[in-house]
Amino acid sequence: MSGLRNQIVDFIAALRDGGVRISVAESIDAVNAVAVVGLERDRMREGLAAALIKDEADRAVFDESFERFFATTRAARGAHPDHRGEQVSAAAGRGKPGDNPSARDDDAPVRKTDEPREGAGARRRDEKSQAAEAKPAKKESATRRDGAEREDGGRDSDKMQGRERGDADARDESPAPGIDAARVARLRAIERRPFDHYSILDYDEAREALAPLIRRFRIRLGRRLRLAKRGKIDFRRTIRAAMQRGGAMIDLNYRARRPRHVDLVILADISGSVRYAAQLMLELMAGARECFRRVSSFVYVDHLAEADFEQGHLVMTPPLDLYARSDFGRVLGEDIRAVAPIPPVDCAAIDGFAVRAIESTGAGASSSV
Amino acid sequence: MEITHEQISDGLRRAKYVTNERVETAIFLALALEKPLLIEGPAGAGKTEVAKVVAEILHTELIRLQCYEGLDEARALYEWNYQKQLLRMQAGEHQGLRWEELSEHIFSRDFLLERPLLRAITSASRVVLLIDEIDKADEEFEAFLLELLSDFQISVPELGTLKAHERPAVILTSNRARELSEALRRRCLHLFIDFPGTEQERKIIELKVPDLDAKLAAEAARFVGAIRKLGLRKPPSIAETLDWARALVRLGVRELDTDAVRTALGVLLKHEDDRAKVEAKASSLAPRRR
Repeated sequence: MSGLRNQIVDFIAALRDGGVRISVAESIDAVNAVAVVGLERDRMREGLAAALIKDEADRAVFDESFERFFATTRAARGAHPDHRGEQVSAAAGRGKPGDNPSARDDDAPVRKTDEPREGAGARRRDEKSQAAEAKPAKKESATRRDGAEREDGGRDSDKMQGRERGDADARDESPAPGIDAARVARLRAIERRPFDHYSILDYDEAREALAPLIRRFRIRLGRRLRLAKRGKIDFRRTIRAAMQRGGAMIDLNYRARRPRHVDLVILADISGSVRYAAQLMLELMAGARECFRRVSSFVYVDHLAEADFEQGHLVMTPPLDLYARSDFGRVLGEDIRAVAPIPPVDCAAIDGFAVRAIESTGAGASSSV
Repeated sequence: MEITHEQISDGLRRAKYVTNERVETAIFLALALEKPLLIEGPAGAGKTEVAKVVAEILHTELIRLQCYEGLDEARALYEWNYQKQLLRMQAGEHQGLRWEELSEHIFSRDFLLERPLLRAITSASRVVLLIDEIDKADEEFEAFLLELLSDFQISVPELGTLKAHERPAVILTSNRARELSEALRRRCLHLFIDFPGTEQERKIIELKVPDLDAKLAAEAARFVGAIRKLGLRKPPSIAETLDWARALVRLGVRELDTDAVRTALGVLLKHEDDRAKVEAKASSLAPRRR
């Protein structure tokens, strides 16, 4: 039981890292809840959620962390210490608020919201490469943390456990750094590649790299929308408060801000040349959709379609032909020649001509150029 | 009485409350840990219903406190019955009682008007206390609730502290008209009830309106699910869905086509602009005939 208790405590620490605010009292509730509910996986999840998650916006973070920590009921019961270290560090690696990379993706969403209007192009690519830069940096910090965690754990637990952990490392974790390095290298390669050279495989990899960004974007956004504490002055309450004091001093009372009050319309061009970029962007936005009150996404190539995401895949109604011509049909069948040159005389309507000063001496207003 | 998870599931089923693991577990935990349960969710998703069902499962009384702006302790907790006290004093004067005796008398439980919170605390058996729409009450009232929710006791200056014999099962509901304080959230277990999915709603309709044709019930559920996504001012609640289903039965609708949708729309939508919005899209929303 104490193993499980530790695991729950670690789980809570991971949630706190993910931006969920959890008090000590709630942690105690969580342990009690598991004790009452039992270890049956679904019940345990709902029990923990009821005790820990007090805002539906945090539910997604909770679900993700839960999947990672309590992979199967067995793992939950066994509470392997070697599992634990890895999981905690993986969770911690998602980035503390003060971390450098998260600061970078902090200002990203601001630009992202108005981006689809501006067409794909260079800015989006820039965005993406920035995002992908953030990823390896984070990976490194995760690895570092992992190491530190393991050291701590080793010191705390007894020798026996330490050896067990070592064995486990040899079994499970030793290939991990190698895989990481290879992955980082591959991701680097992808981030350098222009979007129009993407293959389906590259796209999948890029999506994988995007996943943690989606998560952090959502957390950031959720937190920002929640932290905005006060709204307009609440006239009735202000007056009532003043009346209680004989009408003498006025403390201003503010209306609490309604949470999540943002509507979002996404309009994205997904024609052939930019479709990977556009889809990655849309997925990023889709990840954070519960932060908004209402999201309407539209995509277009030659006509408009409503877009939605189902299990991470773009679904369009009605479906679009990605390689349709995006000239909206406004092209002439053949060239048409003007009957006469317009304007009929040589002149510079707007731009003007550059003239050498020496050659213009003595020229009048009607001299030819 | 020890409560098991299965009892809750059974009770919910018997009360015809169609739900999922999440709701069951949260209710079970609230009862087992004796903690208040804070339920949030859109209006008409069945939050208040949970309290009624819990009272039914526990075979006990439901004490309901409806919150509103300006709700104060006198309305929620207790109030001295001034008129009765005054009468008592006048009667006492005639009997020639001294002030000390008198004041002892008039500040006893006989002269106390119990309001819902005090009634829940002093009740001899375990009751269900529903504090409905806590977000409508002021923040001051919310702060005042904290003592009650953590210790289940109330201090009445003239009588001392009243402690609950049996902790009531407390259920709070909120529509998120404003953000509740962290302190309150911390003391409660939390449950978010959203509108049911199409499948779940179909089950609800079939259970509560058995007269409706099964195929039609499925279509109705799908239709309601679709119009909730339109971003209406007031999306239809489950109760309204059920009213609508009953209306369909009464109207003898066999097929849910555009005309059938239009005739009974007033049951479902209570705003003119919502209605206009749905009517404009009615033809595309109504299930197509194959």
